[in-house]
Amino acid sequence: MTVTAESGYNATDIELARAAALGDAAAFEKLYQQHHRRVYSLCLRMLGNSSQAEDLAQEVFLQVFRKIGSFRGDSAFTTWLHRLTVNQVLMHFRKRGVKLEHTSEEGDFTNVVETPLQSTRRISLVDRMTLEKAISQLPPGYRTVFVLHDVEGYEHEEIGSILGISIGTSKSQLHKARMRLRELILKKNE
Amino acid sequence: MGCNQFEEMISDYIDGALETGEHTMIERHLADCESCRALRDDLLQLVHFSRHLPEHTPSNAVWTAIQTQVKAERRVGLRQRVARWMARLEERNFSLSLPQLAAGALALILVAVVLSVVLRRETGQSLETASVTGASAINKNLLSYPDLKQIEERISQLESSVEQRKASWTLDLRQAFERNLAYVNQSLIECRQQINGHPEDKVSEELMLNAYREKVRLLEGFEAF
Repeated sequence: MTVTAESGYNATDIELARAAALGDAAAFEKLYQQHHRRVYSLCLRMLGNSSQAEDLAQEVFLQVFRKIGSFRGDSAFTTWLHRLTVNQVLMHFRKRGVKLEHTSEEGDFTNVVETPLQSTRRISLVDRMTLEKAISQLPPGYRTVFVLHDVEGYEHEEIGSILGISIGTSKSQLHKARMRLRELILKKNE
Repeated sequence: MGCNQFEEMISDYIDGALETGEHTMIERHLADCESCRALRDDLLQLVHFSRHLPEHTPSNAVWTAIQTQVKAERRVGLRQRVARWMARLEERNFSLSLPQLAAGALALILVAVVLSVVLRRETGQSLETASVTGASAINKNLLSYPDLKQIEERISQLESSVEQRKASWTLDLRQAFERNLAYVNQSLIECRQQINGHPEDKVSEELMLNAYREKVRLLEGFEAF
């Protein structure tokens, strides 16, 4: 019997990670089952492309397999995995020459003026799919900061550290991302 | 405050990152400006929705591809390990055969284990009377290690796998395996006996864990053949 326990015992992430590091294939599969949706969703939102997101999610779990022995349990497994995923996506951007800090579309917003009633009604019509679609249409720099901050809950300090940008740039990218999203959603609902 | 200035500060406002004075200015502007109130409401809802987006599921092909790659890497990793091991041995230019060298290495481990146990006895560090004795007590003691349970399970898996592979082994390979396994098992027996007499002997416990790990490495090495 493996640590994944057909007996019904629910092993913790750290127990599974230790077992996987010892070569327990069932423990590795269990880790995949528990975390693949979160990893894939993060890749999908940062990349805006399902095919690339699947490739990246696959690469992330291969990295988990290769590096699981270095996971010491000092942080939560989810934190470690999350950071590994973000790093993989950023590496993917770098390989493709995607610039995260600057975008040619910066500041290029249409000034949408409307009454509060119209606005509330329109934005309330924003279902999740519309929002997901709008996020995928953001330029990579805006999208990355927006996903990390508004979807994943990172602070600007952490984002600055991960992306190698200043806190001010992170805040500026986030603001522009939100404004662009609003514009995209309102256009979609016109 | 004008609408342009408000727009520049709206993100910090909804994130609660403004100083009190700026916050008050924004609130005053909002009280008089319908357009900016609409912007605020939109962004608040947008941020709220974003925090509660559902997770997506990748296709089954992702896991299939991962499994295939992992199996391939495991195979390559073991072969490379064995190849490196053999290369190192060849560099030393010993006249002994590979199985003899493997047996020698394990014999050294066994000697180290036995010496440690003897030294512990000699120095009297574990002379206090054992409060718990007997096989069931030992098992209970040993199973208290979180790593040990996993290692035993891993050994069990590997033993089944090696057993299936034995049929295709040459006589030399089989003899080398049996000899090495006997050394490791002997180390384990020595450790268990020591722990049996001295349940609190942490050094022997650590040595036993090392011997278990050695057994895993041995089985993994021969599983590749």
